[in-house]
Amino acid sequence: MATTGNSSINAKLVLLGDMGAGKSSLVLRFVKGQFLEFQESTIGAAFFSQTLAVGDATVKFEIWDTAGQERYHSLAPMYYRGAAAAIIVYDISSSVGGTPLPCLHVPDA
Amino acid sequence: MDSDDSVTDPNPHHPDPSLDAEPATVEQMGSLTLGEAGDAAGAERPVGNGFLPADFYAAAGEIEVVEEGSPVSGDLAGPSSLGGPGACRERSGRGDALPSPSSSGYAGERGSSGGSSEIEEADDRETMLDDWSRGKRHPDEDDGSVSWRKRKKHFFILSNSGKPIYSRYGDEHKLAGFSATLQAIISFVENSGDRLKFIRAGKHQVVFLVKVPIYLVCISCTEEPYEALKRQLELIYGQMLLILTKSVNRCFEKNPKYDMTPLLRGTDAVFSSLIHAFSWFVFSNPKPKALVIWNPATFLNAYTCLPLSYSTRQAASAILQDVADSGVLFALLMCKNKVVSLVGTQKASLHPDDMLLLSNFIMSSESFRTSESFSPICLPRYNPMVFLYAYVHFLDVDTYLTLLTTSSDSFYHLKDCRIRIETVLVKSNVLSEVQRSMLDGGLRVEDLPLESSLRSRSLTTPELSSSQSGIGGPSGLWHFMYRSIYLDQYVSSEFSSPISSSSQQKRLFRAYQRLYASMHDNGTGPHKTQFRRDEDFVLLCWITQDFELYAAFDPLSDKALAIKTCNRVCQWVRDLENEIFLFGASPFSW
Ligand SMILES: Nc1nc2c(ncn2[C@@H]2O[C@H](COP(=O)(O)OP(=O)(O)OP(=O)(O)O)[C@@H](O)[C@H]2O)c(=O)[nH]1
Ligand SMILES: [Mg+2]
Repeated sequence: MATTGNSSINAKLVLLGDMGAGKSSLVLRFVKGQFLEFQESTIGAAFFSQTLAVGDATVKFEIWDTAGQERYHSLAPMYYRGAAAAIIVYDISSSVGGTPLPCLHVPDA
Repeated sequence: MDSDDSVTDPNPHHPDPSLDAEPATVEQMGSLTLGEAGDAAGAERPVGNGFLPADFYAAAGEIEVVEEGSPVSGDLAGPSSLGGPGACRERSGRGDALPSPSSSGYAGERGSSGGSSEIEEADDRETMLDDWSRGKRHPDEDDGSVSWRKRKKHFFILSNSGKPIYSRYGDEHKLAGFSATLQAIISFVENSGDRLKFIRAGKHQVVFLVKVPIYLVCISCTEEPYEALKRQLELIYGQMLLILTKSVNRCFEKNPKYDMTPLLRGTDAVFSSLIHAFSWFVFSNPKPKALVIWNPATFLNAYTCLPLSYSTRQAASAILQDVADSGVLFALLMCKNKVVSLVGTQKASLHPDDMLLLSNFIMSSESFRTSESFSPICLPRYNPMVFLYAYVHFLDVDTYLTLLTTSSDSFYHLKDCRIRIETVLVKSNVLSEVQRSMLDGGLRVEDLPLESSLRSRSLTTPELSSSQSGIGGPSGLWHFMYRSIYLDQYVSSEFSSPISSSSQQKRLFRAYQRLYASMHDNGTGPHKTQFRRDEDFVLLCWITQDFELYAAFDPLSDKALAIKTCNRVCQWVRDLENEIFLFGASPFSW
């Protein structure tokens, strides 16, 4: 994707959180402006990109929408390695557990 | 095409399949067994007895003719090059030779599995329809529900401590008691140093597959042969490994009572789509199009290619090869469940089962269609212990590229590869050719050339295109499947009009399944043929070292003509081999 401004920034963004929390929905809204009532559970991780103009600069987001299913938990580091930002998503309507991050172990970022 | 390209003729030892009715060739057959079944309803026909290898048909290595009425002699000749010493043995009245069906009444001998004998048949069609879309249907059912008991075919995965892992119908956790019962049955037999293969209970078969610490069980009243159901369990196990690898076994080492269900959460659609492929049709994802496609790959141990001109497939293979050389383990371009091209690095070859399970996984998971994705995936036949990483991208609704690698950080490299591949595929019109081929469909029996001398018909020339009449192909040929043993690939014809109804297709699928099971029982010889006639079809199967041919004819077809027609089919397939098969993907052709 070409950038017109003199400064362009590549930013890796990763979404983490439990299954069904709404990560994919958030990303799809951001990237494609869509919302699906029946969003299928993500497998492994899905990659999206979206470019935003912020003042003079353009920011190109490389977005990793990870799977919240338990079997993929151990893979989270593979996707968040080198990320500039992480969005941790949890379902506010779900009362399970007191913490939104029941099983997230983030060592060195 | 390139005539001096040795791979284009993979079968240098092709027998000349001249099954002509020449008495002289009779001497060269291995042996000929004639059996005559008296009545069409077939008290002696081994419907539903397929699990008993010995009683299905006669011993291996013989040419067997099972036909009601006319005794046949001398008009079925084996390929002469495969002839050997043998006798022409005639057997009239099979009662003495083949056990009667009652001998399969295992229920009485081994006891039945509790409530299973009460399960009644239900129409599976409605089940399949609402079974579709997202994941598991009827999660509210359990073994106490009448509807659950009426299901025609159940599949279960459980642990060897009796914990439920997967059930086709009903909520796993509610089936804890039922799972424990299954486990008790299995371990009761295991404890006496034996292994339980199946239980027969009335119309029902209960088939077991033990993969310690995992048990798989199928309960079915579909009358499929034991071998077919066992293979289905193997595939379900493979599908589970594809998602989790065999290292899940370690969870049970630490804790035998480990609950594995959370690890398979969200995969119901994957299993139900695989189970649909076992039956006689698969829905195409994502929309419940009532499209009837069965998947013979589930029992043929082979994959099938999308018909394409040689140069088109070459163009696809060339760019995939390019990418494979840059450190991709396998590059696979598929359209639905058909292969466009497949390339592997070095000597690595992709097993047909792995392809089946991989394409089922990708096609049944909506997630892959939303964007490009990068996921751990295990190919159980390649290495059941490790995860590979799969870059998956749909190039159009049906066509998807899968790049497999061993390295977890090569996403960006694979993404670049995909962009290169896609550019080439678009430029060289491969994608549009793929779509065209999907629309055109595969081989049609109506197009079978009349004379085998009419060689090298290209299937992309529409001159032959199909079927004015509604009577199928020449000599009453309705359908065929040809499997190249050497290539691990099969080609099957489209359904001709006499088998356009789904009930006919279901009957044909089941008939092929039984035929396959009977041909592959104990110690298959290198060459066998079988001819049988029942009220639905005339079926002819011919197995040589190089290929297997399964053909279905009008039940009133003349036998000599049917045999002749089979020869023409083989010739036709060979004439078209550059368009219907992929060369170079098999390990033997490196
Ligand atoms: N009502 C409501 N539903 C939402 C919202 N966000 C997501 N959903 C629904 O919640 C379900 C799960 O959303 P996903 O976006 O797939 O959740 P996810 O975090 O990506 O789940 P995994 O991919 O399994 O990790 C979907 O059916 C969405 O339609 C929201 O803000 N409000
Ligand atoms: Mg998601």
